[in-house]
Amino acid sequence: MDWRQLWDIVSTPDNVPIVALIPLLIFYCYLAWKQAKANDELVSELEADPVLAKTHHRKTWPFRPGWQKEVHVWPFLLRVEFLAAIIVTIILMVWSLTLNAPMEEPANPNLTMNPAKAPWYFLGLQEMLVYFDPWIAGVVMPTLIIIGLMVIPYIDTNPMGSGYYTWKQRKFAIGTFLFGFIVLWVSMIIIGTFIRGPGWQWFWPGQTWDHNRLIYEVNRDLPDLFGITSNWAKGIFGAVVVGGYFAVGGFLLHALFRRFNPKDYRRMSLLQYSVMQVFMLTMIGLPIKMLLRLALNIKYVWITPWFNV
Amino acid sequence: MPEQPIPEQDPVVTKSYAVHYVVAMAILLATLFWALWDESFGQRPWKAFQHEFKDRYLAFLTTAKSKSQQSQKEITQSSDYARLEDNYKQARQGAQPRVDAIQKQLSDLNARILAVQNVFTDRRAYANALTYQIETDPSPSGKKNKQKDLDAYKAKLATVEFPDHSKKQFNYGQLEETYNQLRDQRTALSAELGEALKPVTEANAKLAEYVSDHMVDLTPAQIEGLHKKYADWDPKILQINVADANIVDRCESCHMGIREPLKITAAAMTLKGHKKPDEYAQAFVSHPDTDLLKVHDPDKFGCSPCHQGNGRATTSLEKAHGNYEHWLWPLFPKANVEAGCQTCHAADMVLVSGDVGWTISEGKDLFRQKGCNGCHRYEGYDKEPEELQSMTQQIKLLEQQKKDNSKQSASLMKQADTAETNAEATRFNEQAIALRVTNSKIDGQVQQFDFRSHSLMQDMKKIAPNLKDIRLKLNKNWIPVWLKKPTDFRPTTKMPNFRLNDEQVHSISAYLWQTGLTDSLPKQKAGNAAHGKELFETRGCLACHSIGEGSQLEGGTFAANLTRVGEKANYDYLVRWIHNARERTRPYCPYEKKDIGPEDYAKHGLPYQFDLQHSQCPNDGHELQVQNMTVMPSLRLSPEDAQDIASYLITQKKQEPSSYADASFMDDAKLRDEGKKWIRHFGCAGCHEISGFEEEGRIGTDLTVEGSKPIERLDFALYTEAAQRGGKDPITNPDDLARLPGGPAKGPWYDHKGFFEHKLAEPEIFDKGKIKSEEEKLRMPNLHLDQEQIRALTTFLLGSQETSLPASYQYNPSDTRKDIQEGWWIVRKYNCMGCHQFIPGQGTILMGMAQYKDVQEQLPPKLLTEGARVDPEWLRRFLSNPALSTTDTNRNGVRPYLKVRMPTFSFSDNELRKLVRFFQALSQQPIPYVPEQVPTLTAKETDMARSLFSSTAAPCLKCHATGDDAHDLHATAPNFLLARERLKPDWVERWILDPQAISPGTAMPSGLFRRENSQWVFAGPTPSSFQGYTRDHSKLLVDYIFQLTPEEQHRVAGAMGRTRAAGPARNRDQQAWHGNASATGGGSP
Repeated sequence: MDWRQLWDIVSTPDNVPIVALIPLLIFYCYLAWKQAKANDELVSELEADPVLAKTHHRKTWPFRPGWQKEVHVWPFLLRVEFLAAIIVTIILMVWSLTLNAPMEEPANPNLTMNPAKAPWYFLGLQEMLVYFDPWIAGVVMPTLIIIGLMVIPYIDTNPMGSGYYTWKQRKFAIGTFLFGFIVLWVSMIIIGTFIRGPGWQWFWPGQTWDHNRLIYEVNRDLPDLFGITSNWAKGIFGAVVVGGYFAVGGFLLHALFRRFNPKDYRRMSLLQYSVMQVFMLTMIGLPIKMLLRLALNIKYVWITPWFNV
Repeated sequence: MPEQPIPEQDPVVTKSYAVHYVVAMAILLATLFWALWDESFGQRPWKAFQHEFKDRYLAFLTTAKSKSQQSQKEITQSSDYARLEDNYKQARQGAQPRVDAIQKQLSDLNARILAVQNVFTDRRAYANALTYQIETDPSPSGKKNKQKDLDAYKAKLATVEFPDHSKKQFNYGQLEETYNQLRDQRTALSAELGEALKPVTEANAKLAEYVSDHMVDLTPAQIEGLHKKYADWDPKILQINVADANIVDRCESCHMGIREPLKITAAAMTLKGHKKPDEYAQAFVSHPDTDLLKVHDPDKFGCSPCHQGNGRATTSLEKAHGNYEHWLWPLFPKANVEAGCQTCHAADMVLVSGDVGWTISEGKDLFRQKGCNGCHRYEGYDKEPEELQSMTQQIKLLEQQKKDNSKQSASLMKQADTAETNAEATRFNEQAIALRVTNSKIDGQVQQFDFRSHSLMQDMKKIAPNLKDIRLKLNKNWIPVWLKKPTDFRPTTKMPNFRLNDEQVHSISAYLWQTGLTDSLPKQKAGNAAHGKELFETRGCLACHSIGEGSQLEGGTFAANLTRVGEKANYDYLVRWIHNARERTRPYCPYEKKDIGPEDYAKHGLPYQFDLQHSQCPNDGHELQVQNMTVMPSLRLSPEDAQDIASYLITQKKQEPSSYADASFMDDAKLRDEGKKWIRHFGCAGCHEISGFEEEGRIGTDLTVEGSKPIERLDFALYTEAAQRGGKDPITNPDDLARLPGGPAKGPWYDHKGFFEHKLAEPEIFDKGKIKSEEEKLRMPNLHLDQEQIRALTTFLLGSQETSLPASYQYNPSDTRKDIQEGWWIVRKYNCMGCHQFIPGQGTILMGMAQYKDVQEQLPPKLLTEGARVDPEWLRRFLSNPALSTTDTNRNGVRPYLKVRMPTFSFSDNELRKLVRFFQALSQQPIPYVPEQVPTLTAKETDMARSLFSSTAAPCLKCHATGDDAHDLHATAPNFLLARERLKPDWVERWILDPQAISPGTAMPSGLFRRENSQWVFAGPTPSSFQGYTRDHSKLLVDYIFQLTPEEQHRVAGAMGRTRAAGPARNRDQQAWHGNASATGGGSP
C-alpha cells in the first residue's frame, strides 16, 4: 500500500473539492433519507387518520398539535439561511487563506503533462472519453445531459412530494436522480481523480503511479469478435445490436415501469412516456458500455464512418 | 439513534439562534483579521526580513562607525591633516568678513524682491488672463474693447510697501522692470558670494578627500548616512526591473545587504549571544564577489539571469528561490553556482578575466578533455568535422556542376556546328563560352574550399589515438585486455570503461586489427635509455604526460600516463611517434573516403610524398588529411634523441609484453562484421580514427541546452519514484558512490543536478533493474571521474540552457574581446597552460614539479604580457617555427639555454592568426601593430650606451645569450640580436625599469635605473660623458639594443671576455649592490 501516493492525490489543492465531496455527499444523503423517512411515516399516519389529516400543521415531521400551521419566511427561514451563508463564507475564507490557487508551470507545447486531467467538475466527461469516441462523449452526451435535465419538468407528472423530503411518493424520480448523479457523475469524477494515473491507466488507490508502468490490454470492437470484416456489415451489425438494446431494454423498462409505477404510467402521455424511455435507456446504456469495456475489453459496439458507439 | 422527545414549543418559531450567530460572527471576524494579517505579513514574509535587517544592520553600523571613527581619528592626527586643516581655517577666516557683508545684502534684497513679487505676480496673472480673452475673442470689436481694458489695467498704479515701510507706486511696466532688476542684483550677489567662499570650499574638499583617501573603509560620515537611511526605513518591495530583458527581480527585498557599500559577513549579522549565523544572518551578507557585480551591473542584469530562481515571487522562500515543482528554473545550488556563467558565456572556453580555479571553466575543459564531445554535440566545441564535411559536400556539388557544364558546353558547340544560320551558331558559341567561364569561376571556388579544408584538417583533432595504426603500434595480445577494462591497466586513462562483454571485446578488437594498416615501419636502432630518461624529464614531456602510479605519479594529466607503455607499444612506432607524432602512415582523402597509398601516387607517376606542403590527393587534387589528428606536437628532437626516449619508455612496464594471453581470435574474419556493428554502436569513432568510420556521426544527445530540458525528458527509469521521494541511493558500487559530489543522496534528487551527478558517477545506473538486450543498454561509458570533476561537469551542464534573455545578453563580443575568446579555445586545446602562465596566479604543471623548485629560471617563460612584449608578425613566425631556423631545428629559437623545449605544433594559418590576435588582445595591444621608429644613435650616444650595456654594475651579456656556444652554456636569458624583430621598444623600456612588475620572480635584476628629476638615470656608475645628458638613460639603452649588430655584440662580449656568464646563484651575490635583492625565477625577455 503506497500511502504516500494516496496522500499526494488527496492533498493536491486541485482535488480538495473532490475529497470534500465524498463525506458531504454521504452526509446529505443521510440527512435527506432521515427526513424522508420521517415524512413517509407521517404520510402513512395521516392516511390512516383522516381527522388528523385535516388538522395537521405541517407537511413535515415532527410536529405537535397547537403549533402554527404556517410560519413566515422572514425571519424564520431567512435567519437560518443567513447563518448558513456566514458559515459558508467562513469556510471559503479559510480555504482561500490556506490553499493558494494551484497554478502550474508555463505551458510547454512540446511537453504535455501526464496524466493531463480536466478540472474536477469535467472529470466525468473526460472519463467518458475512455468508453466512447470524442464525438459521442464530448458532444452528443453532454448535449443529451442538458436536454434531459431540461425535459424533466415536462415529463414529471407526479404531483406529490413538492416542498418536503419523501421517498415513498417519488421513488422513480429520486431513484433516477441518484443513479444519474451518484453512479454516472460522482463516481466517474472519483474514478478520474483517484484511479486514473499516468497514461490514463487504471491504478487502484494505494498503487504507485509509475510512469514507466506497462500493461497488456487489447480492446476489440464487438463486430470483430463475431468475425465481421466488411465496413458495411459492421455498421449494420452495430445498428442491429444497439437497436436491439433499445428494443429489448425498452420492453423491459416498460414492464418494470408499469409494474412498479402504475400511477405515473397512467398520468403520462405517449410523448412524455417515450421521451422518458429514450433518455432512461441512454442513461442505462452508459454503465453497460463501461462494463463491456472494463470487464470484456470491448472497444466499440457500433462502428460507422461518422461515429462509434 | 434514540428518538428525541418532541418539545412543547415549536422550535421553528421559538428557538433562539443568538448563540449561533455570536459564535459564527466571532469566527467570521477572526477570519477577517486573519485575512488582514495574511495580506500584510503572511503573504509578505520579506517584511520580517526587512525589519530584522534594519535592527541588525543598525547595530552593525554602530560598531562599524566607532571603528571608522577610530581610524579617522588616527588619520586626523597626522601632520598632513593638520596642515590641511590649518589651510581650511585660514581660508575661512580670510573670507569671513566679505561673506558676512554679502549675506547681509542678500537678505535685504530678498525681502525687497518678496515685496515686489507679491504685487507683481498678482497683476501679471490678471493681465495674462485678459490677454487670453483678447486672443480668443471671435469679434474684432470685442478684441478692441478688451484691449482697451487691458491697457487701462496696465496703466493703473499699484502700491508696493517695502520692508523699510516706504511705499512706492508703480504702473505695470515699471513694476515688471523693477522686479527683473532686483532679481538680476540677487544673481550677481550670489555669484559674488560663491567667489568669496571658493577658497574655503576648496580647502574643505581637500580635507575630506584626504580622509577618504586614507580610510580603508567608509568614513564615519558615510556610515552615518547609511545609518540614517536605515533608521527611517519602512518596509517596501525592492526590485530591479529591466524592461527590455523582461527581468523583474525582487531578491533584494530580503537580501538587503547584497549591494551595501560595506562588506557584510554572516558573522557580523548574527544576533548577540548566538554562535552560529541563523537564516537571517546568512541572507543579509553582501555579494561575495563585488568585482563580478561591477562587470555585471545588477541594475542591468538583475539577479535571476545568473542565479535563476523566480525573481518575481515574494510569498515564500521556496517560491522566490524557485524550488518548487512548477518553476522550471530553480536557483542554482551553491556548489554549482557558476552554472549561471554558462548561460551567457557559452562561447567562452575560459571565462573572461582572472580565470583561476573556476569550476565552470574546469567543466568546460573537462568536456573536451574527456572526449565528451566525441559522442555529444555541443555548440562551440569541435566545429571542424562538421565544417569539413560541408566543405567536402560543396566541393562535390561544384565538381558535378562543372562536369555538367562542360558536357553542355560540348553539346552547344556541336549544335553551333550544325546550326542553320550564322546568328544561331554565334549564339550557341557564346553560350558555350559563358559556360566555360563559369567553370573557371567554379575552379576558383573549389580552390578556396580546398584552402579552407587544408586549415580545417590541420585543426581537426581527435582526443584518442588513430586506430588505423593499430597493427604497427600495439602489442596484439594486449588489445583485448585493455578493451575489457582500461582502468585496470591505467587508472588515470581518459579511455572510459564501456562495460563490454567478452564477445564484444573479441569482435571489436578483431575488426580493429583486421582493418589496421599493414605498411612497414622503418627499423630503428636501440637507443640509450638513461639518456632517454633524462630527456624525457627535461624536454617538457611531463607538462602533458605523467609517469608513475598512485602517489608516485608525476606530471600532467592532459595526456596519457606512460608507466606501462612498454607492455603495449611497438618500439619502432614509438620512435616515429616521439620524433613527430603527426607523421601519418597513409594520408586520408575525405573526398574519396579512403586511405591513399603509394600505388595511388604511382598511378599518376608522382613520388609518394605527403606532408603539409604536399597535401593534394593524387587522384582528384583535393586536400588530404596528411597528419595524425593528435595534439601531440613535434619536439624537434634528433632521431637519436627520439630513439633514446623510446628506449627509456619501452622499459616502462610491470609485466613482459609476451606474458599477455594469446589473442589469435583477432584474425578471425567472421568476427569482423560483428565488430563493426559494436564499434558503430558504442561510437568509438567519436574519439578514435577508425578505418571505415571516418565520416561517422555522433551517437549521443546534443547537450547544448541539456540544462533546460524538461525534467520529464530525463529518464530516471525505475528510480523515478526513488528520486522524487529520496531514500537510499540506488548506486551501490562503492567506487561509483564515492564519485557523487555530495555523497549518497540524502533527500529527493529528482532534478537536473541529481540526474547529471548520478549519470556521471555511474552511467549505467538507470539500466539497473531493467531487462534489456545488449543493443538497448545505455551506452554511456564510465569515465571514472572524481567528485570535483563531476561537480564541474554538472555545473557546466546545468548552465547549458536555452535562455529567455535577449541575444544581447549573450557574451558574443565583436571587438578584440572576441580574439581573446577564440584564443582560449586554442590555448586549452594544446595545453599551453601546462608550461606557460597566462593569468597571474595560474599554476602550470611544470611549476609544480620538484625538479624546478631550485632552478626556476629553467621554467618556460611566463606569458602574462606577451602581446605587449613581442611584435605580432614575429610571434606568428615563432609559433609556426619555434626554432626560428629551417636548418638548425633541434633547439629553442629564443631561449637556447632552456632544457625544456617549445614544441612545433604545426598550427594552421587559421590558428596562428587567432593565437597572435589573442596575445595582442590579451595585452590590449592595437591591431595592426605599427612598429615604433627607434631613433638612430649618434656615435657619442652609441659610446655612452655601450658603456651602460657593458657596465660592470650590470653586465647584460653575463646572462643573455650571444649565439656563441661556449658563452651560451651558462646563459639564462635570450639573445639581444633577436630584440629588433621580436620586441616592442616601449615594452623593453618598461621591462628594464621594473621587470618584477611584469614577470614576478624573474631573474632579471630590478632597480637598474632610478628616477632623478623626471629623468631615468642609470643606478650604477656612469662615465663623464653622461654629464648634461637629459634623455632617459633607459631609453638610450633600449635604442642601443635595438640597433645592436652581431659584430657589435661580439666586440662587447669580447671586451668583457673573461667574465663568463655565471650561474644565477653567483649572480645574486653580485647584484646585491643595488640593495634590491631580486629573487631568481622565471625567464627574462
